[in-house]
Amino acid sequence: MPDVLIADDSEFMRNLLREILEEDHEIVGEVENGVEAVEVFKEEGPDLVMMDIVMPIRDGIEATDEIKSSNPDANVIMCTSVGQEEKMKEAVKAGADGYITKPFQKPSVMEAIEDVVPS
Amino acid sequence: MNVDIQSLGTFNQLAHEGAEQATQSMGQMTGIDAVVDVTKITLLDRADVGEELAGRDFVGVQFSFDGVLEGDTVLAFDVDSAGTITEEMMPGSSDDEAMARSGIEEIGNIMMSGFIDGWADYVGATIDHSPPEYIEESGGDVLPDAPENGDHQQVFVFKSEIEWIDESVNFYIYMLPEYDSLTEMMVEHVDTDGDAIPIDKLQTFNEMTTSGTQKAADNVEMMTGIPTESEVTQISFAPIEDVPKQIGTDTFVGTVVEFTGTPSGYLMVLFDEVSAINVAEAMMPIEMDSDELTDQHKAAIEELGNIMTSGFVDGWANVLQTSVEHTPPRVVHDMGRAIMDPLAAQVGQYQEHAFIIDSQMQTDDIEFQAEIHALPNEKELRAALNDLDVERATETGADVEQIFK
Repeated sequence: MPDVLIADDSEFMRNLLREILEEDHEIVGEVENGVEAVEVFKEEGPDLVMMDIVMPIRDGIEATDEIKSSNPDANVIMCTSVGQEEKMKEAVKAGADGYITKPFQKPSVMEAIEDVVPS
Repeated sequence: MNVDIQSLGTFNQLAHEGAEQATQSMGQMTGIDAVVDVTKITLLDRADVGEELAGRDFVGVQFSFDGVLEGDTVLAFDVDSAGTITEEMMPGSSDDEAMARSGIEEIGNIMMSGFIDGWADYVGATIDHSPPEYIEESGGDVLPDAPENGDHQQVFVFKSEIEWIDESVNFYIYMLPEYDSLTEMMVEHVDTDGDAIPIDKLQTFNEMTTSGTQKAADNVEMMTGIPTESEVTQISFAPIEDVPKQIGTDTFVGTVVEFTGTPSGYLMVLFDEVSAINVAEAMMPIEMDSDELTDQHKAAIEELGNIMTSGFVDGWANVLQTSVEHTPPRVVHDMGRAIMDPLAAQVGQYQEHAFIIDSQMQTDDIEFQAEIHALPNEKELRAALNDLDVERATETGADVEQIFK
């Protein structure tokens, strides 16, 4: 069962993602900004990070950049409401492995995860 | 074809002064104390003109005018206030239908002459108007048909809202000029090239915003399961001090974000309290039935506001091939004007007038209504319009699979 870290400043969205994922994944942490995401990633070393972009203190793209710099094998899926092409390119540059736009439904989340972390 | 900010400001001021002149005339004739609350120039789809008047019955007086400026104008009163006005003018007249009608026609004639004369004086030419035509209609039907604008669906409308002091009654002056005669007048009165805005690109931007509103409505539908349609999208121009008045005094729940990029500014997603509860409960995985707004409702509204904001601005970024960043949403719960006041004050540090982008959406069964208001920095919006490639106007989406291939 893959370990997943959820990084999103919205409690509502963290709950929603947990409900979608917890049946098939181990949720090792839920954080609400990019700084905490990097810290918990380094502590827990999850198989996958579901990373929001717009978060306080440090955004998800900067956090992804640091995570991928420290561990190029890390798997990060951006999970965001932002649907801007330039932002998607920034996410690719930071090393993101996938990109899901909110609002989403369970099949699209599972499909994106299967692409990045095949079962 | 360009128009400069200064001219838009002048035209708005002309409409405002005309409305003040008309209101003053009414005060002299009736003793009614009234003030012009808001005057704004709006660019919107012709089918949406007068949408805000829906569900109310009006008595009005229409005129057509021609000369250097051509079009139609209307003065519209709520039915009840029309009776009071004629009674104030001539006690006992409200019981005599013909007399009441004649009284409204005459007050309309005098008021609207004052409204139009200022425009004629400004351009130094004559603007003739027709005799007054008395009308009784519901909602937007009180307005004349919006003028045709070639292949475009969008028209400029000048609207003044007049508040009757001590009474909860407002009335309205609408002017619907022919597009070509207005834009020709605007172009002739361009004062400076530096702050010119290309009108055709303003229309294109409005179309992009309509697309953004539909995207936001689609996102709401996906999160709540409630079929949601975008209704009205318009871009208005008004003095910065009038901006908060447009949101009104009703209480709203919603989110505010600051966005940066080209353009920067503020964006609000607002629900009335009942709508906020309904939409939040539709998002929740467990069934709730509350009459009051809880922290759970607010958390849902926060996330919905975030997603609606992205849906709204992403299209701008993709068409302009730039990125528009925004802060995490801040939940607000207050009177509309109180929410808008500090934002207008921030924007007002750098500009005297503002473009306000307003959108509405609702469901078939009125489970909820939502409004989106954007207040961009005027100089940056101008820069964005200058950079706008009209040919790319429909490229509002991004192909994530292509980018991540």
